[in-house]
Amino acid sequence: MEDYFVQLKHITKTFPGIVANDDVSIDIKKGEIYALLGENGAGKSTLMSILFGLYEPDGGQIFIKGKEVSITSPLKANKLNIGMVHQHFKLVSDQTIAENIILGAEPMKKKWGFIKSIDIDRANKEVAELSKRYNLEVNPTDIIKDIPVSTRQRVEILKMLYRNAELLIFDEPTAVLAPQEINSLLEIIKSLRDNGKTIILITHKLDEIKQVADRCAILCKGKLIDILDVKKASTQQMANLMVGREIELEEVREEVKKGKVVLEVENLSYKDKDKVSKISDVSFKIYEGEVLSIAGVSGNGQVEIADAICNMIRATSGTIKLNGKSIDHMNIRERAEAGIAYIPEDRQNVGLILDFPLYENLILKEYFREPYCSKHGILNFNEFKKQSNELIENFDIRSGKGCETTVRSMSGGNQQKAIVAREIALNSSLIIFVQPTRGLDVGAIDNIHNKINELRKQGKAILLISLELDEIMALSDTILVLYSGKVQTIEDAKNLSKNQVGEYMMGVHNNA
Amino acid sequence: MNSIINDSMAFALPLFIIAIGGIYCEGSGVINLALEGLLGVGAFFGGLSFAMISTQLGTTTNSMIYLSLIFSMIGGGLFAILYALLAIRFKANQVISGVVINMLSVSLTAFLANQLNYSLFGQASNKFMLAVFPRVTVPFLNKVPVIGAFFNETYVFEYIIIAIALIMWFVLYKTPYGMSVRACGDNPQAVATAGRDVNKIRFSAVIISGIMAGIGGMCFAYSISTNFSPSIYVGYGYLAIAAYIFGNYKIGQTLLACLIFGFARTFGYLIVQALALPSTYSDLALTFPYIVTLVLLIFFSKNFTAPKGLGEVYEKSKR
Ligand SMILES: Nc1ncnc2c1ncn2[C@@H]1O[C@H](COP(=O)(O)OP(=O)(O)OP(=O)(O)O)[C@@H](O)[C@H]1O
Ligand SMILES: [Mg+2]
Repeated sequence: MEDYFVQLKHITKTFPGIVANDDVSIDIKKGEIYALLGENGAGKSTLMSILFGLYEPDGGQIFIKGKEVSITSPLKANKLNIGMVHQHFKLVSDQTIAENIILGAEPMKKKWGFIKSIDIDRANKEVAELSKRYNLEVNPTDIIKDIPVSTRQRVEILKMLYRNAELLIFDEPTAVLAPQEINSLLEIIKSLRDNGKTIILITHKLDEIKQVADRCAILCKGKLIDILDVKKASTQQMANLMVGREIELEEVREEVKKGKVVLEVENLSYKDKDKVSKISDVSFKIYEGEVLSIAGVSGNGQVEIADAICNMIRATSGTIKLNGKSIDHMNIRERAEAGIAYIPEDRQNVGLILDFPLYENLILKEYFREPYCSKHGILNFNEFKKQSNELIENFDIRSGKGCETTVRSMSGGNQQKAIVAREIALNSSLIIFVQPTRGLDVGAIDNIHNKINELRKQGKAILLISLELDEIMALSDTILVLYSGKVQTIEDAKNLSKNQVGEYMMGVHNNA
Repeated sequence: MNSIINDSMAFALPLFIIAIGGIYCEGSGVINLALEGLLGVGAFFGGLSFAMISTQLGTTTNSMIYLSLIFSMIGGGLFAILYALLAIRFKANQVISGVVINMLSVSLTAFLANQLNYSLFGQASNKFMLAVFPRVTVPFLNKVPVIGAFFNETYVFEYIIIAIALIMWFVLYKTPYGMSVRACGDNPQAVATAGRDVNKIRFSAVIISGIMAGIGGMCFAYSISTNFSPSIYVGYGYLAIAAYIFGNYKIGQTLLACLIFGFARTFGYLIVQALALPSTYSDLALTFPYIVTLVLLIFFSKNFTAPKGLGEVYEKSKR
């Protein structure tokens, strides 16, 4: 008999209107990296939440090291040495890294022999040691809200290690990271396995699975489709199984003739409230039928450019023209009306109202207009729903109760699809995509890439901001590389190789 | 000068202990507008216990005064359970339930005070008379310039409050329980995944706020009117809320805010005196702390940061 750490047997979980897990059985060996692959909404997060005690399954059994257990709360999961890094982090934003890590398992000290209190010095020391041992660099006394996402993720990992977790669950850990950070995370995951930990990894990126995983289970619409030995399977095979159809991993692009100038940005600069310069003196133009991408390591000012164009932040200086007219004096709504669609980076906070139903979220930028709102100012929800159903159909947005679903309950990938659908439907002359495919499965990425190509053919101007170099290389006509807020180069995409772009991103050359 | 400091402290410290309760409650993520009602019910219980014991014994002694303080804590704590049930167990809207608790406590204590006075003591009154809280003078320290005034003829309850406040500070910032309370207010999901029971922590924090409000209410009853009557509801609960908001939900800064309110109140009275206004104008003096609140609000609002998860109902499977 093999040495299994976890065995899930016939797990079933239904939510109103949807079977999220349908009779799923998987066995995970001790010391292996087990990947879960599946489309958005296939039920991966749900399955793992069951294992971590956040959801209770409707049916099925869980065995840990051969013994049947019932995991009714995260506390139980902790006791069974199961830890999880969630798709959306769960950290206390105004406490320090060390305090977050020790929460629930605090080291104590005694004063005068009887007054017990948290030994924060020991906590800091232990966290520093742990972080050194596993090569997860953090400063124990930093406050969570001041540190970048990649560090937060390290904190989540340390939190599990501090509790001696033996099974570590990672739910789309790479979706929030830049390419370099992804590589180091994958190295960490491998070294954790070499240290004897068992790992479950959820990701949409097939090459990551290829790189680190031993075995891979494929889920589709709640059902277990297949379990593959990663070494013997090709990425193409995995993709096809997962989507249930043939998928083209290579994309073809047609020539499109550029039209008039749509967006003209001149000498745009922005300083944040601490007077730190985030973008300085950025100028570029985007024409009809052109995709201009901004490449750069995360946090080098890309998002600020997009935000300044939509007026989410106010540029310190510079001018922005849309279709030949200055939009500098316009507020957010006026700019949107003038023809700017925006797919923001932070889908949960900026893009959606999580507790509203899908049909209201899909009309969020047009509700004040006819036919959604009558001349007398009364909303017409039938029209909301009619339009929503069309978008749901076109963009394959999957959820439990169609347009009535509360957005919060939808899977992360489907939330993203909803925003993309809404913004494309606005039919604006400029469409800004910030990380449009973050967290999407290969099938959905393929769909969005096709949409972008189609929009380009229709003569829209497209500004694409992405951390994925492959995405930029595949879709752009022009590439602008940004490094610490300054333009490094603007070039026809045909003249740049992926490596060159990478070098510009690190600030090696400066061409501008 | 001495009396300014003394009066101000006698007002500021009860306010402070009520605000500390609020910091626990709101720090754990539960909105607490019920402080006003909680302090009233606490004072009612304290006043009732005092009246009952003193009629039983026929005399009053100092120890009964301290006993009544304990009863006020019990009363505030019990009434807070009602609020905790509404806000946490039944997930009722926290703003509305807080206001309801306040209205309920005003009418309930007025009604009960009347009824009990009549049935137990045969009097037609809505007041419970209290004794004067003992005062002490600390030798030597009272000779120190300026702060010496605080050690001169001080109500004993002021020292009690300081002692409790120190313990509450220690618990909130130095123990696992306190850390979890603060974490619940920021991100309850984080506490849950760390293996603690969010609802239990919040429930206890609400009860603590009731106990603290009980003490504060009782001390107000002693120092301001030496009786319990429905006139205890003049908005000190809301002032306590203002205090911990100015104090940014931190105990130390909140003390400062309470001192400002305390001195503002005393100065209000001084102004009425100095201008030789008729005594009916003393009501005007009572508005002074609230005007100070308004002015402070205008200047400092930008800097306040409420706990991130304030008012957020915890659900295990919320994503
Ligand atoms: N709490 C909930 N209430 C209602 N429906 C839910 C809830 N949680 C999940 N679902 C539904 O269950 C299905 C599976 O969701 P899940 O989050 O497990 O997908 P996923 O495979 O993790 O997708 P993604 O790759 O997009 O993160 C989705 O259709 C989702 O809408
Ligand atoms: Mg998921």
